[in-house]
Amino acid sequence: MRAAAVPAPRSLVGGPTLTRSAVVLGSGLVLLLGVLVLAVALGSVGIGIDDTARILAHRLLGIPMARTWSPGAETIIFDLRLPRVLSAMLVGAGLASAGTVFQALLRNPMADPYLIGTAAGASLGAIVGIVAPILVPALVLGAGTAWLGIGLVQVLAFAGGLLTVLVVYSIARSGGGVHVVTLLLTGYAISSILAAAVALLMFVSGRALGAVFAWLMGSLAAASWPSLAFATPLVAIALTLLVLRWRRLNLLLLGDTAAAHLGVDVEREKLVLTGLATLATSAVVAVSGTIGFVGLVVPHVLRLAIGPDHRLLLPASALFGASLLAFADLGARLAGGIPVGIVTALIGAPFFLWLLRRARVAPAA
Amino acid sequence: MLAACQAAPLATATPSPSASATPKPSASATPAAAYPLTVTDDAGRAVTIAAEPTKIVSLAPSNTEVVCALDACDRLVGVTDFDDYPPQVKDVPKVVVQAVPDVEKIVAAEPSLVLAAGNQQTPQAVLDRLESLGIPLLVLYPQTLDGVYADIELVGRAIGVSERAATLTGEMRQRADAVAQAVAGAARPRVFYEVSVYQGVIYGAGTDSFLASMIELAGGEPVTGDATGVIQLENLVSADPQLILLGDAAYDASITAKSVAARPGWDGIAAVKDAAVKPMPDDLIITRPGPRIVDGLEALARAIHPESFE
Amino acid sequence: MTLLRVADLHFAYGRRPVLRGVSLAVERGELVALLGTNGSGKTTLLRLVAGTLRPSGGSVFVEGRPVGEWSRPELARRVAVLPQQLELPPGFRVGEVVEMGRAPHARRLFGRTEDDERAVERALRDADALELAQRPVDKLSGGERQRVLVAMALAQEPQLLLLDEPTLHLDVAHQLALLSTIDRLRRSRELTVVAVLHDLGMAAAFAPRVAVLHDGAVVAQGPPSEILSVQLVRRVFGVRADQARTADGGRHLVLRPG
Repeated sequence: MRAAAVPAPRSLVGGPTLTRSAVVLGSGLVLLLGVLVLAVALGSVGIGIDDTARILAHRLLGIPMARTWSPGAETIIFDLRLPRVLSAMLVGAGLASAGTVFQALLRNPMADPYLIGTAAGASLGAIVGIVAPILVPALVLGAGTAWLGIGLVQVLAFAGGLLTVLVVYSIARSGGGVHVVTLLLTGYAISSILAAAVALLMFVSGRALGAVFAWLMGSLAAASWPSLAFATPLVAIALTLLVLRWRRLNLLLLGDTAAAHLGVDVEREKLVLTGLATLATSAVVAVSGTIGFVGLVVPHVLRLAIGPDHRLLLPASALFGASLLAFADLGARLAGGIPVGIVTALIGAPFFLWLLRRARVAPAA
Repeated sequence: MLAACQAAPLATATPSPSASATPKPSASATPAAAYPLTVTDDAGRAVTIAAEPTKIVSLAPSNTEVVCALDACDRLVGVTDFDDYPPQVKDVPKVVVQAVPDVEKIVAAEPSLVLAAGNQQTPQAVLDRLESLGIPLLVLYPQTLDGVYADIELVGRAIGVSERAATLTGEMRQRADAVAQAVAGAARPRVFYEVSVYQGVIYGAGTDSFLASMIELAGGEPVTGDATGVIQLENLVSADPQLILLGDAAYDASITAKSVAARPGWDGIAAVKDAAVKPMPDDLIITRPGPRIVDGLEALARAIHPESFE
Repeated sequence: MTLLRVADLHFAYGRRPVLRGVSLAVERGELVALLGTNGSGKTTLLRLVAGTLRPSGGSVFVEGRPVGEWSRPELARRVAVLPQQLELPPGFRVGEVVEMGRAPHARRLFGRTEDDERAVERALRDADALELAQRPVDKLSGGERQRVLVAMALAQEPQLLLLDEPTLHLDVAHQLALLSTIDRLRRSRELTVVAVLHDLGMAAAFAPRVAVLHDGAVVAQGPPSEILSVQLVRRVFGVRADQARTADGGRHLVLRPG
């Protein structure tokens, strides 16, 4: 009872203040818009920023204006670049927020959205979709026809990711509970089996090897309005529900027992969070293939920068992940259309190393 | 080299595409094609062309050669960075770099017709994308010499030069017939055409591949691998080719009869024992299914039956 | 009024029975110390009361209702647990983790109510942790961390506070300080406290009533001066002790080595 009985200042309780949240999310939004303009204006074909702006104003806002641009330019801006940039943003947002959730769920800063089998399952699904038409020619027609505007590859990738996590989760489950280490090891084992199947399919893929490789490295070259329309609602729903669960995510950081003492139905919550994060991951992986490092680095860096409170961390991860991937994809396009996963790995991995070294030097890390 | 590697999944799914592509061999009678016209390409797709295409993008060197052989070289507004023939195409903008088609550049060229390549050489994603943008697109994927004729006539019809196409394929057929006559009656040696050997994985002609059909026409019995052209060394040894043609020697001077003889396990093959291992500097025209393919056939026949051409 | 009633409680880990018919009633405002050897089932009993384990037989009633029938948040508004040790997630400040104790009361989607703020402030003050509010949780000493955990539990505004060997990692001075705080809070907040304690002396000093667990059953309960006899200590803990008289006329046990 040493403390003076003065009314406590508001900051006493802690947590991100409204101003701080507004600054972080506001700057994230401004950055996102900047990257959007930049990424739509730049590409392998030079289109002036003035024409870019006019085309967007005309097509998006319906403002009538004299056509100073060629029809080709309009197609490039509106049908090629815009859906691709928006897809990059969606994928970046989905991976970064799913990474944030898995890092909290597994209480492991090295966790990424692919860890418990999403990547391996989606890869196998996608590669079956790519290779099967070559091995079984009767499937060619089926592969060509789009289903709800998306192809066989996307559907199989999405289903593969979800199914694998379902299998991993049910195997790891014992006595009504899922232990983190068991989950990780089960994910590793199942992923290894699927990776062997992927390698086998790659070996027999022949001419499709390039397509398989591009998928495994992650690429947004195939992004289109239909694939965006498929993934956006899934990611939006998952993200919204995840952000609304910020409090439980914070509590799970205390450990299963302490979280239970604070009113969390731990096993149910883990299942729901895993399901939502996997839904977002599978949806975006279906669009882009497996793009690495975004889901690992973004939450990690942001946690150091703005703290671990998921109320702010989760939406910020989505925003900054979106900017990062759109920016990386711009680099990939300007570098001659290389898979964007190569760019994220080239930028992400050294950055991560630097970060690890810094964290080690920093006091009481 | 590219077209030779693999068997024909696309064509298998759409039996005899070339037949529908050339419904009227006597098209030369009509001076100007009536647009819009609908043609069927090698992927079995029905493609409607609204007006005579004035801007053509070619996504494969063989397609480029077809267009130029039809005297339409000046209509090309986009080619690949592999394109080397005829020499003037080197000045045409490159829309395929390092085998990656740049969709933005293709669209920016505002083509009225795109000639793509089959069997994933033009990736399915790119085909889908161009199709969704409403750009008229023909997939050319000839499986045999007859397929090459059919494709030349298909392109001729599509771009309004059927007559020129008929003349060209007529000349090609004559020369091919001459080759057939020259090798007729001669003994047919077992021929292995080496596409590449890398890390111990041997690529030759695939089963039922274009390359295999060329070897047959040139008077040889092709030794083939699986559908993708991969052949295990022990299968190669047991097939015991009497002649080995080194297609890869055209690009890599270190591959010679001597280096082949030094490969472990190869010394038991008849061709190696009898010193019947020849580099094929003409690999490009043998494996590129364009209008020069008959030159390739002649080169192949000369290599297999030098005695017939003395 | 009986806040906590444990009736003929059985529990087994697999085939190994841990509790075989424990019965215990705790009145509102009481402080009861649970004593017993390692493996006697004290911590298991706490977990069954906190609802993180389910009994294989018998029942636990909190406010007259079986624990299993309360929803998790409902139970967390009534029962808080002070663990031996809890690794606090780095990056948070003390005020923020103490606010986590408000989770079962949360009514706002993203923000906090004035009740929440008042409760956190009061919890910090009561746990003597007010000046720690802005400190990062990864820069606390052992004693400070224990105070933060107390504040967290108080922020829950529970009726019943369960302590699971809370003094295990503290030195003697801090042990005394913590138990004094708990005892003070019991009075000022009308808290009911059930504490698993190791130290018989501490238990005797702070708990008006102790319950001794042995082999999965309560073998004795009552005021420590009556219960903690030389015979019981020998029977339950297997150690020899002498009865000694203190300067103020009280009695206490002195353990004898060997």
